[in-house]
Amino acid sequence: MNFGEMFMSAMASLLANKLRSFLTMLGILIGVASIISIVAVGNGGKRAVVNALSNGQTTNTIQILPKELVVPGLPQPGQVLSVSQADLDIAQQFSGVERVDYTITGQTNVTAGTHTINASIDAGPDYLNTLAQFQVIKGHMFQASDVVAARPVVLLSNTLAGKLFGSGNPVGGIVTIGGTPFQVIGVTASQQVNLFSLFLGSDYAYMPATTCQNLFPTWGITEMDVQTRPGVNQDELANHIVTALNVNAGDANAFETSTGFLTTVESTINRVTSILTLVIGAIAGIALLVGGVGVMNIMLVSVTERTQEIGIRMSLGATRTAILLQFLMESVMITAIGGLVGILLGTGVGVAVSAITHVPTFVQWPVVVFSFLFSAVIGVVCGLYPANKAARLNPIDALRYE
Amino acid sequence: MIVLRGITKRYRAGEETISVLRGIDLTIEDGEFVSIMGPSGSGKSTLMHILGCLDLPTGGSYELDGMEVAKRSKRELAELRSQYIGFVFQNFHLLPRMTALRNVELPMMYAGVPRTKRRQRATELLYEVGLGDRVRHLPTALSGGQKQRVAIARALANSPRLLLADEPTGALDQATGSEIMTLFSDLHQSGMTIVLITHDPSVAAYAKRTIVLVDGSIVGEEVRE
Ligand SMILES: Nc1ncnc2c1ncn2[C@@H]1O[C@H](COP(=O)(O)OP(=O)(O)OP(=O)(O)O)[C@@H](O)[C@H]1O
Ligand SMILES: [Mg+2]
Repeated sequence: MNFGEMFMSAMASLLANKLRSFLTMLGILIGVASIISIVAVGNGGKRAVVNALSNGQTTNTIQILPKELVVPGLPQPGQVLSVSQADLDIAQQFSGVERVDYTITGQTNVTAGTHTINASIDAGPDYLNTLAQFQVIKGHMFQASDVVAARPVVLLSNTLAGKLFGSGNPVGGIVTIGGTPFQVIGVTASQQVNLFSLFLGSDYAYMPATTCQNLFPTWGITEMDVQTRPGVNQDELANHIVTALNVNAGDANAFETSTGFLTTVESTINRVTSILTLVIGAIAGIALLVGGVGVMNIMLVSVTERTQEIGIRMSLGATRTAILLQFLMESVMITAIGGLVGILLGTGVGVAVSAITHVPTFVQWPVVVFSFLFSAVIGVVCGLYPANKAARLNPIDALRYE
Repeated sequence: MIVLRGITKRYRAGEETISVLRGIDLTIEDGEFVSIMGPSGSGKSTLMHILGCLDLPTGGSYELDGMEVAKRSKRELAELRSQYIGFVFQNFHLLPRMTALRNVELPMMYAGVPRTKRRQRATELLYEVGLGDRVRHLPTALSGGQKQRVAIARALANSPRLLLADEPTGALDQATGSEIMTLFSDLHQSGMTIVLITHDPSVAAYAKRTIVLVDGSIVGEEVRE
């Protein structure tokens, strides 16, 4: 009796009791479907959040900045306070570095018509790091070409825009900063209120770093943003660059790296999803356990019901092994088919969720393969006892069983 | 060769023990055709199950081809039943969810006969017992006599050296019954050892030797020429 025949005969016996076979599968099916869909939706959601926050940028940026002051406003003698052009050049030399950008921050008057407001200026590359914390709610972010050409374009925070333009639409309007007219191209949601905003207010203007440097050459570069090449060990590269910068500055403590905002977000999401995965995993595990117990129960019933059949098969020359494999095959097929349908269902749920929420879902092959194998293993584990019980029957007792 | 010495079989029913077989001594040579007669409940089927290695006796010794059956492993017994012994049960014992053809194929499947070969042989056997047109029928769609003939075809599937038949003509009419008995005689001619249980003296007469069992003991033996 080969594998194909065992398969066919197990199939026939499952089909003989369609409803019962299906109900027995249900536990495994639901367990597997929930694992597949949760993992798919979780992965998709995570990617979507990271993508949304990074405006399509991946988290390949290292931020390097002068060490924070121990006492705010009181630098140590000789402490490096800003990043110089030489520092940018040093960073650029590293082989893992794709591009080096920089961010400038300062404080100056912004004028529109008769209103003049003292605002914080954040100037940086097109993926301005601090901006990642806000959303552009009107208009759009400035482009890489704006940075290269040092164009006088600016985004205003919601509160600043309100103070300058009242209820009118600021996008397309003109503001004057440092004597230069700027075109307002967007409005951002206001920064969260924190201790800083009590002192600094939440009046922010964002512009390309190059524009800012031309306009306020005396403002120091507060931070360098190093974009790394794919596959580079970021921590290692960051350490190398910081060391090189410190050597250049002659101060072992001149610079430090800051964990990028996105990295923080990503690790937070990771933490949340791993907790979620754990909780869902536990629920799915319970479903699988209950499902497995159900399979074992039904297999025991099946063995009892088919006692005479077992006796007949034994009288016709079936060995214990043949009987054992027959019942094991049936239970494995119940759980494997349940797992397979669960995978399809879970994928379907993932696709449906993605269609409804517009969040893409990702079904991962390793998870699919693992789910399938795991459900097959449940079949073996839960089928073993009933199958063994069948195989150990005494032929004549089984034959005489009514 | 079958050698039974002092075979007993007892069942425990609560406090009581019932003796179903009370010391059977019987030798059956290879190629012999033996019939067993006796009143209902005398232990004929029990004896047949012991002969077929489906059941083990409570006492005594059963040597099959010089080997003590009680000393064989479960696997060896399964192999014996598969290769050596063919059963026709008193109540047919067909598998209800399988067609006649599948039922006949089953012993060959356990013996490892390839699919096409065993399908062919099963079809031939069903023709031989006169059921060529009922190959795809389920047992529920067969009459008692037809079921009996499927059971006979199944017992012959692996060309056993020992055929054990418990009332194989019990559900058959006179004509079909004698057809089956002619088949048995032919099988006996070709060298098969046959042990046949029957209530019908005319059926018993096909055998060269008839043993009469009463209350678990052999009380008579008739040898014909
Ligand atoms: N498992 C068992 N437990 C108790 N008693 C049993 C058991 N099996 C058989 N018997 C008893 O053994 C006796 C002989 O049974 P057996 O089936 O061998 O009779 P038989 O000669 O084949 O009868 P029949 O001609 O009616 O088929 C019966 O009285 C039966 O009740
Ligand atoms: Mg009987």
